[in-house]
Amino acid sequence: MTGVEDLLQTTPLLIVSISGLVVLVIDSIFRNGERLAFWLAATSLLASGLHGLYGIGETGTAFSGMLTTGGYADFCAALFSLAGFLTLLLSRDYIGSRTTDRGEYYVLILFAVAGMILMASAADLVVLFLGLEMMSLCFYVLAGFTRTSFAGNEASLKYFLLGAFATGFLLYGIAFLYGAVGSTNIDLILSSASHLRDQTFFLIGLSLLLIGFLFKVAAVPFHMWVPDVYEGAPTTVTGFMSTGGKAAAFSALLLVFAPRLASQIGPVREVIAVIAAVTMIGGNILALSQENIKRMLAYSSVAHAGYLLTGVVAANGSGSTGILFYLAAYTLMNCGAFGVVALLESREGGRTSFQDYSGLSKSSPVLAGLMALFMFSLTGIPPFAGFFAKYAVFSGAVAAGYTWLAIIGVLASLISVYYYLRLVVLMYFSEGEHPVPAPVPLAYAALLAAAGAVLFLGLFPSTILDLTATFF
Amino acid sequence: MEFFIISVIKIVIVLLIILTVVANLVYVERKVSAAIQNRIGPNRVGPWGLLQSPADVLKLFIKEDIVPSTANPFIHSLAPVISISVALVTFAVVPFGGSVELFGHQVKLMIADVNIGVLYILALTSLGVYGVTLSGWSSNNKYSLLGGLRAAAQLISYELSLGLSIIGVVMISGSLELDRIVEMQSGFQWNAFLTPIGFITFIVASFAETNRLPFDLPEAEPELVGGYHTEYSGMKFGTFFLAEYANMITASSLIVTLFLGGWQFPFLETFGLPAMMATVVQVLTFVTKVAFVLFFFIWIRWTIPRFRYDQLMNLGWKVMLPLALVNLVITGGLILAGLF
Amino acid sequence: MDLFDIVFYCFALIAVGSAVVVVFSRNIMYAAFALLFAFFGIAGLYVLLQADFLAVTQILIYIGGILVLMLFGVMLTNRVVDVDIKTGTLQIVPAAILAAVVGGSLSGVFYSTWSTVSGTPSDVATTTPAIGEMLMTSYILPFEIASIILLVALIGAAMIARRKT
Repeated sequence: MTGVEDLLQTTPLLIVSISGLVVLVIDSIFRNGERLAFWLAATSLLASGLHGLYGIGETGTAFSGMLTTGGYADFCAALFSLAGFLTLLLSRDYIGSRTTDRGEYYVLILFAVAGMILMASAADLVVLFLGLEMMSLCFYVLAGFTRTSFAGNEASLKYFLLGAFATGFLLYGIAFLYGAVGSTNIDLILSSASHLRDQTFFLIGLSLLLIGFLFKVAAVPFHMWVPDVYEGAPTTVTGFMSTGGKAAAFSALLLVFAPRLASQIGPVREVIAVIAAVTMIGGNILALSQENIKRMLAYSSVAHAGYLLTGVVAANGSGSTGILFYLAAYTLMNCGAFGVVALLESREGGRTSFQDYSGLSKSSPVLAGLMALFMFSLTGIPPFAGFFAKYAVFSGAVAAGYTWLAIIGVLASLISVYYYLRLVVLMYFSEGEHPVPAPVPLAYAALLAAAGAVLFLGLFPSTILDLTATFF
Repeated sequence: MEFFIISVIKIVIVLLIILTVVANLVYVERKVSAAIQNRIGPNRVGPWGLLQSPADVLKLFIKEDIVPSTANPFIHSLAPVISISVALVTFAVVPFGGSVELFGHQVKLMIADVNIGVLYILALTSLGVYGVTLSGWSSNNKYSLLGGLRAAAQLISYELSLGLSIIGVVMISGSLELDRIVEMQSGFQWNAFLTPIGFITFIVASFAETNRLPFDLPEAEPELVGGYHTEYSGMKFGTFFLAEYANMITASSLIVTLFLGGWQFPFLETFGLPAMMATVVQVLTFVTKVAFVLFFFIWIRWTIPRFRYDQLMNLGWKVMLPLALVNLVITGGLILAGLF
Repeated sequence: MDLFDIVFYCFALIAVGSAVVVVFSRNIMYAAFALLFAFFGIAGLYVLLQADFLAVTQILIYIGGILVLMLFGVMLTNRVVDVDIKTGTLQIVPAAILAAVVGGSLSGVFYSTWSTVSGTPSDVATTTPAIGEMLMTSYILPFEIASIILLVALIGAAMIARRKT
């Protein structure tokens, strides 16, 4: 039976989804409810995030074994909530200056976070699928949120069509697994993996599931949608998709594949390893030739999916903690980078090319400094968080005997130095004219907080690594 | 095999009865409307005009069947068939009496004893849209298309309150079997008294689902000529006509079955009648109740003016749907309080 | 080959045959119609397998709801019937390889499990109460999430369809 204690065990989910409903009602009842809606949404996301960070509970299950609670789930919930919180702060003015329907935006962000939390805490494939759908539906709409922009519409439609296709794979995979095991419970499926590993039925299900996930994390054969969608969608939404969305997909991937990957489902592990290698190389090489910052960041996010997959392949404690640390760091630095882009972007969606950033340090030194910090961190230069993130996943891969993968990762990171630092060089060592962007206190606060956190995590990585190590 | 034969016999009998009733219902409607409007009505063909309906049917049969040259002939012919089949097939689950011992066989007086009768009804009502929409589209005529689209929008809107009103009944009886729902309404425990709001919403939604006045927007003559069957003539038109009246009969029997005690004659079991007699009384009770509801249908049609289209949609979504939901809450509360 | 088998193959033939027509039809109206019959065939299979609730839900939702919407779309689109909906075939070789791989592995699965699945389902009473019970107890969470997903879809659809402000 389900009862109050089930609800209490899933506090973050409860806070986020209820405030989503309340914000929806506020927005439709009050004519000027935008301010109230915004602060309610932001407060609830912050509350849910802080709950996860400071109140990580005992591991358990809730809702008749549909959800896992505490530990891993709480940490991921905090991560997604904070990503949503950052996005909200960054996008209030950005969205407000481009469209009038801000209420729905907050609602969709809240529900997207709720979907992500469901994905990370799913104990059953049905819940996993529903969470994924909830998140994706929100993203489809958010991508086309500026309805007058053609690029936005294109992004929305493209993401919707391909996303629906990928969902089909995922669902088909779940159906196969259900056929093979007779249950959709993740634990049960994983424990039957040992005696079903040679059954085609089971393996097909597993690979279809994997394809669905790989699409969502944008690994290389399934990355085609990324550049157009990331470029066309409103910049703050792109930031959220590339951080929260990717983090949610990885947390679910970790949930389903990591526990048994090392010992039992052999071929799947090799396949993931190859895909990780291809993704790291491909993403970085494609990013080299981009002239648009959003597209560059899109391909860089493909590359980062590759680094993260390395951690999945490792399938040991170090790899898994590494992934969680990586996701936290990536969320902060990528949200920050897209936030800077959003602040500098013109209302028509222009001023996003590399050339537009030349000499930025003269006109807006703060933004240029922040951008440089995020770029250094994305490259993986110490003492920023990005360095320890890469270090953690690569060392996990080495420990698991995948040294070749770690070497490819390091080489791929070297390629990435070119395009990340090219931006920094342009900003500081060339000339250019810039209109000074209007100061937006909320967005600046969010950017400074993200930058501070990137620095803090870089200097004291053990704060998170010690915590996440207890989950595995 | 025995089951098969019994079923076929039941189907044939019920079908014949319904088709006969339909033909005579047209006559009744014309007579009643005449009385309401202070006219005489049909009185030339046969004694009191009783042969008017057979004459009309004969006329429809020998009329030329016209298919517009720009129409889609296949769908044009298919549409009336869908309409009539949906109307007739729904009747299959309606019980018109208890079970009876005939020639050594225990026979239930319903064609198909489906254990999810209520869902079956909902599923079939949802198919009713196809007949009207397709006839409207395939005729390739703007009046037809408008009529068809209106019909579809109307049917979809009112289907919701129809389904929600039935759920109240299902909650009370705890079963989806129509047989069981009727048995639960012994004495005067009719669902119409237990869920009065649900009863009202169901009746209104039934009117809308059968496209009868005051909801006959799909074929509103002053605006749309003949609505979705503008381009139909001969027996195809006759089939639509037949379908409308067959729908009326089905809707009336559903109202009786779900809300007015079905074939239950109040306190019949205390009279001590022999089994055969009791069954006859039950069937007669059912027929009488249906006749009353049918009369109500006709009465309303000739009394109340037609809605405007926006009024129709407002009523459906802003009044009927909330009312049906309120009914669910009230019914649920009463059940929780242990009153049923 | 008893009655059950015969009925099964009839329904299967209807479902698969109509699905083939859906894919290969050049007229979108006929494709939509074929889809109607495909759904009916599947509903028939559900009935045959004693899944009465599922069968009726299939009719209610897919035929009575989704397909009606699709037909609306078709009918309200001007001269849509004259348009050839089939796009040109691109990438024949990769598509053929992919189709062969997927088809091959699926038929492999089919072949390997052919003998292990028993033919007729066990005789069960109506499934509706059991499904309702499950939805309200162990599957309450997915049930509620599904309703929120529908809400999100509604918001999204309203957002996209709303007039420009």
